[in-house]
Amino acid sequence: MTSTLEYMNKLGFTEQELASRRAYFQLADEDLARLAALRPFAERHNDAIVDAFYQELILKHSESRLFFTDQATLQRAITAQKRYFLELFSGAADLGYLENRLRVGTTHQRIGVAPKWYLGAYAHYLRLITERLLDEQGGSADTQAKVRSLQKIIFFDMAIAIETYIAAGLDALARHQAAIRELSTPVIQLYERVLLLPLIGTIDTARAVQVMESVLVRVVERQAKVIILDIAGVPVVDTRVANHLLQTTEAVRLLGASTVLTGISPQVAQTMVQLGVDLSKMHTRASLEEGLELALGLTGRCIRSKEG
Amino acid sequence: MHTGQIPILRIGTTLLASIQVELRDTTAQAFQEDVLKAIEKTRSRGLVIDITGLDMVDTFVARILTDTGRMAKLMGTETVLVGMRPEVAATLVRMGFSMQGVHTALNVDEGLALLPLLQSSQARS
Repeated sequence: MTSTLEYMNKLGFTEQELASRRAYFQLADEDLARLAALRPFAERHNDAIVDAFYQELILKHSESRLFFTDQATLQRAITAQKRYFLELFSGAADLGYLENRLRVGTTHQRIGVAPKWYLGAYAHYLRLITERLLDEQGGSADTQAKVRSLQKIIFFDMAIAIETYIAAGLDALARHQAAIRELSTPVIQLYERVLLLPLIGTIDTARAVQVMESVLVRVVERQAKVIILDIAGVPVVDTRVANHLLQTTEAVRLLGASTVLTGISPQVAQTMVQLGVDLSKMHTRASLEEGLELALGLTGRCIRSKEG
Repeated sequence: MHTGQIPILRIGTTLLASIQVELRDTTAQAFQEDVLKAIEKTRSRGLVIDITGLDMVDTFVARILTDTGRMAKLMGTETVLVGMRPEVAATLVRMGFSMQGVHTALNVDEGLALLPLLQSSQARS
């Protein structure tokens, strides 16, 4: 799981970025001062607003209600929500504030609060608090300015949250891709110093590079003498795939080990010869079984039947 | 015996050179000369070049190493290149430089074990 600090780096949240963001959202020091001055007001109304907010909105919708299966979770969420809203009136919009907002974003993403729930709820909150502010302080120019300051910081907040959603989503995607890549090149130790890589599925250039890298790293790591590449599960073996296999073989040779290519069907053999691909530098065998015998032979061993 | 920074050790009738410094163009050439002189002087029949310490081998250095092997062979000495790192092998092959004709082994031990086999096959041919 990526930490908040890593997200800060990933999203490029630095002092400089913070300054440019505040300038873009026109969130000036006067706005922060106005918000800080509103804190007593917010504290007086916060509990009622958050309670109303849960009753009128979140618990009314069947989908958003699903997040709160028990009373304890609901209480925890309400407490966190109250704190979250009060922080709007802290009078600060520094890196600590960004980090705090970012943490909320990653938590939402993790527990599955979709952006629509977050944004809808925030809009509702803004409506509730504005109504109370206008009720209590009238519609003077001063109150208008306070409402504008509040809008600014809320939009400032939402931008951070949305960016965090996207970053966390991309992060999850990258983790899945890494898992798939790992699965696509399972190098297995068959015997002492003999490795097997069964290749299954289409081999494109990206995968071929990946195959070569993991083969080379494993050969050195395990000090293997032979690696068997089994291509029985590769649907199409064309010139490009053959060249990738040849490159891998040459690189393995540079390390001081050998490659055995197995799973060569009659069709693949025909294609290779018709395409004029020279695989004569490689040890090749039709089946994995024969390949294993050859590989063991290269390490000075053989399989024989038990006598009597 | 040698002018460069790479020590060339003699073990029986075999020479062992372990390259631990980054090879620049001049050190590579000095290394080649040192090796050939050492072969002449010690009448060694085998040479093991260990490149475990090299994170980067460009085509120039790769060519010098390949050529050194060929030159040694002309003088009757078989060469085994050992300990190439995965990323070095991948880069060389991708650049289309697969050091044809150079014998390779995983480590110094295996390089030393391979030499007698190469020497006897050379004697036969």
